[in-house]
Formats: sequence, C-alpha cells, structure tokens
Amino acid sequence: MPLKYHIPVRRVPPRLSPLAKTTIIDWNEGCLRCQRCVKEVCPVDAYKKRDFDRKQFVDTIDEICRSCYRCVQGCPKELVFKAMNPQYRQLGDNYYIPEIIATTWYQAETGKIPVSGAGYGGVFAGEGFDSLWTDMSEIVRPTRDGIHGREYISTAIDLGRKPMFLVFDEAGNLLFEPPPLMELPLPVVLAEPPLGANPPRLRQILADAAQTLGTVALMARDAVSDDLMDAVGSLVPQFPVGQLDLNDPLLSRVRAIELTDHPEVISLMESVKQRYPQLMVWIKVDGDLRAPDRVAALATAGAGVIRLKASEQARGLGDAGEVHLKDLIRRTHLKLVEHQMRDAVTLLASGGIALAEHVAKAIICGVDGIIVDIPLLLALECHLCRDCQNGRGDTCPIEMDKLPVKRGAQRLVNLVGAWNNQLLEILGAMGMREVRRLRGEVGRAMFKEDLDKEIFEPLFARPEGASRRSGE
Amino acid sequence: MATEVVIYACQQAVPNPDFLRTQWGKDNIRLQVLPEPCSSKIEAFQLLRTLATPADLVWVIGCAEDLCRYNEGSHRLGNRIAYTQRYLEEVGLESARVGRSVVIPGDSPGLAAALAGIKAQAEALGPSPLKKTGEKGKREKGEKGKKP
Repeated sequence: MPLKYHIPVRRVPPRLSPLAKTTIIDWNEGCLRCQRCVKEVCPVDAYKKRDFDRKQFVDTIDEICRSCYRCVQGCPKELVFKAMNPQYRQLGDNYYIPEIIATTWYQAETGKIPVSGAGYGGVFAGEGFDSLWTDMSEIVRPTRDGIHGREYISTAIDLGRKPMFLVFDEAGNLLFEPPPLMELPLPVVLAEPPLGANPPRLRQILADAAQTLGTVALMARDAVSDDLMDAVGSLVPQFPVGQLDLNDPLLSRVRAIELTDHPEVISLMESVKQRYPQLMVWIKVDGDLRAPDRVAALATAGAGVIRLKASEQARGLGDAGEVHLKDLIRRTHLKLVEHQMRDAVTLLASGGIALAEHVAKAIICGVDGIIVDIPLLLALECHLCRDCQNGRGDTCPIEMDKLPVKRGAQRLVNLVGAWNNQLLEILGAMGMREVRRLRGEVGRAMFKEDLDKEIFEPLFARPEGASRRSGE
Repeated sequence: MATEVVIYACQQAVPNPDFLRTQWGKDNIRLQVLPEPCSSKIEAFQLLRTLATPADLVWVIGCAEDLCRYNEGSHRLGNRIAYTQRYLEEVGLESARVGRSVVIPGDSPGLAAALAGIKAQAEALGPSPLKKTGEKGKREKGEKGKKP
C-alpha cells in the first residue's frame, strides 16, 4: 500500500488583523460601573485582549469577538452594539466576495476546514458553481475513522497522454516507449496570479509551496529567474506564441512546459517532444465557444495535457462571456467523450476557482484537475484592492514585499491542505476511494437548471393559451 | 517628508468613501479613508493610537447630531474628540491634529467642503514635528500598541 499523502499544515498567524464581518460599537460614556460588567464575563475575553492594529488603524476586538451577543444583551444601559463592518463589505469584488476572502484567510491561517457550528448561512442555490449540489448520500455510512483514517482515499491524478492500449512482443516487452506521465498527489496546480505587488517574492513563495505540496507551479518563462532554480522541478514555465526557443536550457531542467494554443501548436509540440522526449507539453486553450471542438481536435492530434482557460469570474472568454466555467467544462468533457478521447488526455481548468467546493464541482463536471491562482494571493492576506493593477503597487496595504517566503509558502500549503481535506470529505461522503473516479461523474451531482427543467417546469407549466387562474 | 492623513468616515455620512479618495487630489499628502458603521465606533484611544502612527492628521467625518442613526452616536463622538484634544494639549502636543467634520447624509457639496477643510488643515499643519525628532511611529516596527 502506498504511503498516505499528507499535507503538513501549521498555524500561521496573520500579519494584519483580519477584518471581521461585524464590529462592536462601545459607548463607554455613561457606564453605570456595575459590579459585574458584561465586558468582564466575555467568554473570549475580547475586551481584555483588544488591541490596536497600527497598520490598518483598526481595533482588534472585532477579530476576537465570536458574536455571541452576551455583552450587547447584558449591558443594563445598552451601551454596546454590534453592526455590520463596512470595511469588511468593501473587500474584494462581485465575484471574490468578502465571505470568500474571509474563508480563504481562515484556511490559510489554520489549514482547517471552516466550521461555524451554526449551520450553513449561505443561499440554497445560486448561479455558477452554486447551482450544482453534490450528492453525499453515503454520508450515512461515513468511513470508520474519518478522512485520515485507515480507509485510504486517494486524491492523486495522472497528467499526460495515456496510450489507449499497450503492445508487447513475444518476450513480454513493451513495443513502444509510453509517453511521460506526471503524478500529482492532489488535483490542484498552482499558478501565478494575474495581479499582486512584488511578483518576484510571490513566485518564490509559489515555488516553495509547490515543492512542499508535491505539485507544480505555472509561471511565465521570463519570470523563472535564477533564484527559483532550487525548485525548478516543481515549475511549469509558460511560453506565449512565438516565444519558445528549443535551445532554451530550461527545457532540459523542467518536467513540463505550457504552450499557448495557436494553429501551429501541434507541430511545435512534436518538435519539443523530438528534442526532449521526457518533457511534457501542456497546451492552454481559451475558453470560448470553439473551445470544446478545439480541445477535441488537439486531443486527436496527440496533445497530452490541455488547460481550459476561463476568466477571473469563472466565465468563458470572448464569445463565451455568458457561459459559466462549469458549463464549458461539461461541453468540453462530453466532446472528448464523443470523440472517444477522454481517457487519452488530461483536462485542466483555470479561472474563477475560488473555493474548495469548486475543485470537486469542476472535477464532477469533467476536468481531471484545476489550476488555482487568485485564491493564492488571498491566502497571503491580499484584500484584492487591485492597487497593484492600477499602478499603485507601492501602497500595497499588506506590504507583500515584507512577507517572508517561508511564512507565505506555509500559508499556501495551509490553504491547499484545507481544500484537500474538503475534497476528502466529499469523496468520503460519496463513498468514493479516489478522485480519478469523480471525473465527469455528474450522477453524483444535481444541477439546478436540470431540476428546474425536468421537475418544476412540468409541475407548474400552464396549458398553452391558458390564462392565469384566480388567485394567481 | 510626506504628510499622512487618516479619515474615519461614518457610512451614513459618507456612503461612498471612494468619493473622498477621488476628490482628494493631493499627491504630496497621503490619504487613508476607513469607513465605519457610525462615527461613535471611534474611541479616544483609537484616535490617540492612530496619531501615534506616522499619521499627521486624524479626522472623523460623522453625521449631524440630530441625524445620527444611533441617536447619540455623533454627540458621543463630539465629546470624545474634545476629550482627545484636551489630552493632547495636556501632554504638550498639537490638539489640532485631531478633529471632526459634521455633514448631512447625502449632501455631496457639504462633504466636498468638509474635505477641503481637512485638506487645508493638513497643509497648514504639515508633517508632525515628532517625525523630525524620530519620536513618531517609533514603535512601528515593534508589536501592536496596547490600549492606553
């Protein structure tokens, strides 16, 4: 039995006080000086431990408070209030909402799954990944001793071209050299986020985290500097169209490279394979409406690993701007199935993978693994203010340039560790023993659009030409 | 040495904090705007602690007292500002480096006028003399400051 994959999570306290969802308004003036003040009986000693964060100019009481409302309800003069924190509401954007950012911060700090004990407070259904429910019917018979127990659940995936059959000679030797395969212990590949202050530091952190996790980190070829050479085996350099030089010394040191899709990409891939037989070539395809056909064509032509690229908001690119990533993945996956090429290639997806549940949901829709980028930045306490994108990187509120590499890398390891544990929980609750089996298993999920169409529409459909009934 | 201004803005009085940032237009004076649920969220210790950072001017923008959503919030802040200013005078520091403006929620011209006043104050006061002596922000590299 192989050794169990273990992610070494370790608590890494934040450098800045994480902005809390609610805030305490404390009116000291008019205090009755009760013999037993409600502030003294705070179960988490928030009033004793409160401090002042000199970098963010905030009172840290909100970070400590667990919102039990004991002080609010107990003060006889009603001098303590709780209110929504406007600074929290300002975090992120309409996709990376404050709740996602706060969850990511928590996971990066602790490496644990966020559990409130107060039930799920979110919406029942929404759009995008929220319109997909996973079927955890086997949760009635969970594993005997938890996700890290004796019943091993594998999250490993294989990247690369898989031969559809093997041919042996009479002596039992393989008649051809099988293409190179890369096994990752988890279906998560790291990628350099498209924003962020101090990119060189960020790349060092990414490379370090990828090494610890046993996965790989994607980054532009130009960004692979000498100080990253210790982790070169964990890097996948990306080459834009026309930028690949076959004499590049890096090609003999890395396990894989990524090329951007263009009409000549297959011949370029063949030239690379001829010169470097053990080098794996990934191809990045824009997630537009032509992507499913293009991916199928590339797979038929011999591609091994294909990345479907969506926007930061998990939407398609170009003419597929209205299509959600999960639908793009399903279309592409089914197209590969139609061409009987699905098992031959590895399909990865990137863009808008923001939460742990998105990993499992993307795999259910048909990818083998995902590529994560912006959440890695959030794990480093980024507020997603985008000052760095607007040319104001010198005013980065989290002072990325002062973040030690080891500390940042451990926060990334914690985040991915928490995501992996959630994947294990889902697989365990589904009664599955390996993530490879989850790929394309839409029978393990319910899609809101399908339910609306199949169940609710016939129930509430009005006969053609019928008018509203009275009371409607 | 650039002047730094920190504004705590009540979200009723300043529903759009970006308005302050875009209207500021002073490259030589750094501005930081922090939205708050009510101006009375800001306690005296927070004003003093903010002033102990490299900030040269700490200002609170709140609602008119009779329009405060929390009824007494704006009034309480007024008392806290007065207390903080007295405290600063007692310890021999410039009390003008802490102040507040009162606006009517939704009154953009009023808010712009308040901002102009803050700007003028920041320019008139300039960088804190404590910066020159090295006293200001001395503990910046150390751990977080404790509540006085």
